[in-house]
Amino acid sequence: MKKAVWSGAIAAAVVLLGSSSAFAQQTAGASIAVTAHVDAKAKLTLSLSSINWLDADPDTTPTFSSGAITVDVKARTSAGGAVTVTVLADQDLTSGSDTIPINTLTWTATGTGFTGTGANNMTTAQTLGSWTNSGNHSGTQTLSLPNSWSYRTGTYTATLNYTLTAP
Amino acid sequence: MRGPGFASAARPAFPMRVTGPILFLILVVAAGRVPAAQTSTATLNASVNSVARLSLSSAALTFPDADPDTVPSVQASQGPITVTAKARTSPNGAITLTVRATDDLRSGVNTIPASNITWVASGAGFGNGTLSATTAQAVATWTGSGVRTGTQNFFFRNVWSYATGTYTLTITYTLSAA
Repeated sequence: MKKAVWSGAIAAAVVLLGSSSAFAQQTAGASIAVTAHVDAKAKLTLSLSSINWLDADPDTTPTFSSGAITVDVKARTSAGGAVTVTVLADQDLTSGSDTIPINTLTWTATGTGFTGTGANNMTTAQTLGSWTNSGNHSGTQTLSLPNSWSYRTGTYTATLNYTLTAP
Repeated sequence: MRGPGFASAARPAFPMRVTGPILFLILVVAAGRVPAAQTSTATLNASVNSVARLSLSSAALTFPDADPDTVPSVQASQGPITVTAKARTSPNGAITLTVRATDDLRSGVNTIPASNITWVASGAGFGNGTLSATTAQAVATWTGSGVRTGTQNFFFRNVWSYATGTYTLTITYTLSAA
């Protein structure tokens, strides 16, 4: 009988303890490790891929103009990394054995980071724009060529190679 | 075995000469009302306490490098994460699942705000959201005890302006059952 009395007391105590914890807030946790890879890359887009100037009277059209060429630069580089766009001509404007010096083909540019004026060169790449850090940059470049009476007749060609560098 | 305060090692903790008269009186009173059939009652007490348990199908998320022009939102290579939440709570008790980033995405000294990670959720009680390093964001809420399962499909906003690097952070989940 004495055992029964004490068992009852113990059971009551257990129920009371259970009641007090039943309404306590319970929490559980978990975690996920997240990794995002951001690699270097560069993308250069010009709004046109060729310029074709038709013959014109030098007195009425003293300068050939390309109109504004849109230059879009997108680059991912390291923090503080230099981003540059350069232009290098493959040759002088050439028609058979006749040439017009490529440095007479000049440009004006607009846009943050773009070099405002410049002249093309076939031996040394000319900087069209330079920036720091990753990002998008957009500007325009307008090419101009004097239309001189002194040119020999012909169809002159040259290729301008644009290079975007983002280390 | 006993300490010095005990008078005798064989002495019972509750002597019969104390409890015996009390039990005798109870039996005498009961004897006057002996029933024809005796009924016994057994009370079973089952304690059901609050408990919460959370499991995730993956412990890692990886966002691969991609061209921002073609993949402006990069999905985690693991695909959707399955979230299983088990909780016992009081009737109509609130159960909440939250998530919080320990930090912004970090690669050395370079950082990308954690808010560039978002998720699209499926499952009853689950909702879409944006990760934060400062405030825990709700992933799901329910009412009452139960087992709930849903998915979170994580995406990383991919833009050109990020500095190159391998960025990491940890996201922590907390399941609370009131």
